[in-house]
Amino acid sequence: MQIKINKKSYQADEGETILSACKRNKIRIPALCAHPNLSPSEGVCRMCLVETNQTRGLVPACAQIVSRGLEVFTETEKINKARKINLELLWADHAGKCASCRRNRRCELQNLAEEFKIDEFKFVPRRKELENKDELDLLKDNWEHTVLDEKNQSIARDSQYCIECRRCVRICRDMQTVEAYGVNYRSSKTNVGTPYEIPLDCIFCGQCSAVCPTAAITEKDDIEKFEKVLADPKKMVIVQTAPSVRFTFSEEFGEAPGTFWEGKLVAVLKELGCDKVFDTVLGADFTIVEEAHELIKRLKNGGPFPMFTSCCPSWILYVEKYYSQFIPNLSSCKSPQQMLAPLVKTYYAESEKINPAQTVSVSIMPCTSKKYEAQRPELNGSDHKDVDIVLTIRELARLLRKKKIDPRKLKEKKYDPALGISTGAGLLFAQSGGVMEAALRTAVEKITGEELGKMEFEMVRGEAGIRCAEIEINDLKLKIAVVHEIRNVKKLLEDIKASRASYDFVEVMACPNGCIGGGGQPVPVNQNIRNARIKGILKRDKGMPLRKSHENPVLKKIYKEFLGQPGSEKAEELLHTKYINRKK
Amino acid sequence: MKIISKNWNKMDPLKIDSYVKNGGYEALRKVIREMKREDVIAEIKLSGLRGRGGAGFPTGEKWELAAKTKSPENFFICNLDESEPGVYKDRTIAKKNPHQIIEGLLIGAYAIGAKHAYIYINGHYQKPAEILEIALNQAREKEFVGGGIMGSPVDVEIQIFQGAGAYICGEETALIDTIEGKRGEPRLKPPYPPVSGLFGKPTAVNNAETLANVPYIIRRGAKVFSQIGSSVSPGTKLFVLEGAVKNRGIFEAPTGTTIQELVFNSIYGGGVEKGKDLWFVQIGGASGRLVSPAKMDQPLVYGAGDCPLGCGSVLVVDKSADPKDLLFAWADFFHRESCGKCVPCREGTFRLWEIAKRLKNNDLQKIDRENIEEILWTLSNTSFCPLGSFASVAWTDAIKMFEKEIFR
Repeated sequence: MQIKINKKSYQADEGETILSACKRNKIRIPALCAHPNLSPSEGVCRMCLVETNQTRGLVPACAQIVSRGLEVFTETEKINKARKINLELLWADHAGKCASCRRNRRCELQNLAEEFKIDEFKFVPRRKELENKDELDLLKDNWEHTVLDEKNQSIARDSQYCIECRRCVRICRDMQTVEAYGVNYRSSKTNVGTPYEIPLDCIFCGQCSAVCPTAAITEKDDIEKFEKVLADPKKMVIVQTAPSVRFTFSEEFGEAPGTFWEGKLVAVLKELGCDKVFDTVLGADFTIVEEAHELIKRLKNGGPFPMFTSCCPSWILYVEKYYSQFIPNLSSCKSPQQMLAPLVKTYYAESEKINPAQTVSVSIMPCTSKKYEAQRPELNGSDHKDVDIVLTIRELARLLRKKKIDPRKLKEKKYDPALGISTGAGLLFAQSGGVMEAALRTAVEKITGEELGKMEFEMVRGEAGIRCAEIEINDLKLKIAVVHEIRNVKKLLEDIKASRASYDFVEVMACPNGCIGGGGQPVPVNQNIRNARIKGILKRDKGMPLRKSHENPVLKKIYKEFLGQPGSEKAEELLHTKYINRKK
Repeated sequence: MKIISKNWNKMDPLKIDSYVKNGGYEALRKVIREMKREDVIAEIKLSGLRGRGGAGFPTGEKWELAAKTKSPENFFICNLDESEPGVYKDRTIAKKNPHQIIEGLLIGAYAIGAKHAYIYINGHYQKPAEILEIALNQAREKEFVGGGIMGSPVDVEIQIFQGAGAYICGEETALIDTIEGKRGEPRLKPPYPPVSGLFGKPTAVNNAETLANVPYIIRRGAKVFSQIGSSVSPGTKLFVLEGAVKNRGIFEAPTGTTIQELVFNSIYGGGVEKGKDLWFVQIGGASGRLVSPAKMDQPLVYGAGDCPLGCGSVLVVDKSADPKDLLFAWADFFHRESCGKCVPCREGTFRLWEIAKRLKNNDLQKIDRENIEEILWTLSNTSFCPLGSFASVAWTDAIKMFEKEIFR
């Protein structure tokens, strides 16, 4: 239907909100609680108020549905007044420690404050540290209430920065069904947090930190740890970078999503002083070869089915906490991060004659949950801690900005070849469906013994929450499924439990579209940005000389020289793990 | 003319026979034996009855909407949350004549076809809740409540739900959320409860006093009722007189009675307390407007006039009151009771309370004057639900009426 926005005619769809119609037509309306990953809006922040010819007074654009003959005004004097006053109120409730803030220059509240020129406090800031005694007396009854939660390894919460927009509540409830967050207290003491303010006890996917408009929820900051080891001349710092971050890293420096910045990523790490930069994609190739081997073994032994992939630590935690009956179905393969790391501290250290105790293994990840994963003791394959430090790509970018290192000005560099050769299959791990596609490329060849003609398995690609297919390999019919976002995972598990569905092999990712939409990826994020990232991956896979994991020459060499066969005793020891029932 | 409080002192609220002897449950019998659901709704529509909780929405229309919305199940809720400061009429009905509410609720539930009804009572009202529980059990024994009412195939089960006592839970969608086990916060509207309410099913929510009128309307007919009081919103209303007035308490008067009459007529307030000088009155609790003596000749009705009747409280304030104390009391109340959902109400009521405190301590800062205006504006124009705009009403009026006294 036709509607008018600021006196110009636009096309709007039946049933959509004013905000979505405006967004599509590139008319900006500020919003602090509505988020493209979340719908419907709850209309909390009052930033998107607009005037229309059909309603009395101001109405929230995020909730008002378009109707025939509608005329919308988005920038009247009244609207700007309303936005400014409410922003001033929010600003005074906010920590306002911008210079030292993790989200400085990337904070939605700060951006709006800048836009509306809120540079002075009209109200006494709620959380300002006051020295003046008069001011202190004035605030004697002030309800100061801050919650600092740094009890877990993945996600940090500091309620000083919280503006109670509830995006975290909604994404955790609606997308992930974990419901770790809720609203505590009321009135000005209202606080978004966990029930009874217990430390966060969830699956650490970090989606809350990706949608938080401020720094109230962020990744747990490990930059200092990283800087410390970089400055230590006795330590050898060995870094690995996840498949997906080379497609998102550019966003932190203003480049388009999906830009392939692998060489830049290696270059900045070398610039920071890392001794070796290896590629997690090699770890992914190991995961595929081991997983394909496990699948074939299960097919021979008759199960248990379905076999679930195990590279997403949030998914693993979800099973351990909520669906422990499926633990035997989880592949025993470690994730790529946890496969490459023990090889660094065993195979690589041995071959280079390095004392593994003096190496520090660092990984650059798209994921907050990887920080948690690195701490799981049962994942250590070497005699040392396999992964010492995990940084999200956001943290790396922050460190670079702090050090004034601009990747745009650096020459691209290559991974160190010892553990730095990768395949297109391993790269596909970056997105939902990728592990499945990579595994099929290897499994089909292993089962048939013939070379794969067409490399692409289009049936596992796409955006749908659950994608199923049946694949015929000789006389074997393999029922597979690819699923992302826990709400879809939950549905799938319930269907399996109730025998409404049965599968042989299922790939699971906790985050939307897999790691490419990971909780540690650059912000802002929405479906368009994720699609652009995926496009970058598929393009890159197509152009790779090696597109099957088992053809990776480094991998072949390591099996030959060190591990033996897939599933060998040594491989079991270093590359496989066990799971724990953490049922609550 | 009395409908609600007529038999208050003649009746034993703990004995159902006492209610039945005075014509109780006759209306229910009539409805179930003789009337179709549509007829009941038509009768209530014809009577012109409007909600007595504050907003004054036409009751029959609400029922009609809930009845017409297609759904395998729907609900009826009696709102007895009554949290407006200075009002205690609903809980008094519950204490003095609980069956009147129950009968009204049963008729309403029958009219919209609800098999399950709730009495949502503020958790602070322990005694009224106990009395209601006793009344409900007696009504169940007599087969007025439960499966197969009076031998008919009509089933209506009533459950008493005690809220935790928050002001916001008087707002119908917040009330519904708490029955669902959620935090009490208003929902986005539309959809309105008659379309999608409790557990997403059509739900009619009526104030207790509204429902207490229903048996009378059925017994005497809509015509008789519609001739009582003002034609805009017929019937009677329980007014609660408090403050510097001679007779305090609950008075039932026809709608359309003027404020003047309520305060000065000897059958109601009987005038201002001896030795006190009338300053203004506030109609409808902390969220109500202020009326100066010159404007007290306006009739109190629902749906017309510039002073909403609201829940029916009349606070008489004399000149010995300190306006700063009043401002603080209002700000304090709304700050405490804000649910914390939207920005203007959560932060605005807090800032207003801060300023009110400084005002009380004669420590008003220069910027506060400007801030007051902005906060009041944003509360009334941008709040999520009516509570936010309520918080600005009395302050706005007070500043308009006695700016000099406040800021001198």
